[in-house]
Amino acid sequence: MDTELSFNDEIANVMYATHGNPIKDCLQCGTCSGTCPAVEFMDHTPRVIIGLIRAGYKDEVLASNTFWSCASCYHCSVRCPAGIDIADMMYALKRYSMWKGQHQEGLIGPVFSESFVKMIVNSGRSFEPLLAPTYIFKNGPQGLVQEAQTATGLMLKGRMPLLPKKIKGLKKFQNMVRRIIPIGEPS
Amino acid sequence: MNTKIMMIDDDPDFVAGIKSILEKADYSVNVAYNPKDGFQALQAEHYDLLLLDIMMGRGAEGVALARKIRKDPKLKEMPVLIITGIREQIAFLFPGQAVHPHFVETDELVEKPVEPKFLLEKVSALLRLAEEKKSKVQE
Repeated sequence: MDTELSFNDEIANVMYATHGNPIKDCLQCGTCSGTCPAVEFMDHTPRVIIGLIRAGYKDEVLASNTFWSCASCYHCSVRCPAGIDIADMMYALKRYSMWKGQHQEGLIGPVFSESFVKMIVNSGRSFEPLLAPTYIFKNGPQGLVQEAQTATGLMLKGRMPLLPKKIKGLKKFQNMVRRIIPIGEPS
Repeated sequence: MNTKIMMIDDDPDFVAGIKSILEKADYSVNVAYNPKDGFQALQAEHYDLLLLDIMMGRGAEGVALARKIRKDPKLKEMPVLIITGIREQIAFLFPGQAVHPHFVETDELVEKPVEPKFLLEKVSALLRLAEEKKSKVQE
């Protein structure tokens, strides 16, 4: 077996659970890009990203913000005539770029994902006041004021708790997580 | 007879490095870059040792594969050396916190990066243990 693995193959391996997700079947029809509600925030459209992956332009793909802008609405996956799960491909690219530590500077996505996952694994539910610092400073003072207004409104209406709430059976939940991810001593 | 080692890891650079170390020490090494291909290769041929990565694909897929191997009557006896960079790859494993070993009965866990000498010692130790176990069963 050869040791040189193309970028295309690497991404296919990351997506092997979805049976290799046949990005090689892409016919570049652009339905994904036409469907995407977040396309105006992307450096490259999803169609271009697939083309770049297949052509082995690893650095260009990892430097783009396309997969971090994906809203995971799955509309592209539903409409793709070649049956490619494009939203899953976006997740694969996120995982890959975080794994390799190679992504655009100043993105909210990587930091947000990390603190979100940490929070869920430890407490079983998300708590917005702790998550907020990962993104509220990104949009300048105006954005900060806007976020603060929204948060105050939510709190006044009782929609956002000031203190994190504990879930029932936290120990069981943590044991369940440990079945999936090997943290700590064997139980 | 040449000792045959199977390696399942999705990081091609890491695979290339480890493979050359093992081949220099006269082991014959076969590689699969995802658990699915790896499991097929393990079933198709007999291997003396498996080097397994944990974080592949959607998450800790190596764990699922190790559990599958533990249940397989043919593969159960094969020693497994788990080489993982899990501490770096998942955000919620903190320094000093133990990684859960023993996914399979006959295994050993080392964390990346691996020193070549340390790796070769572990490999030969595991192979020797498996050999001893086999001869005991035959007696």
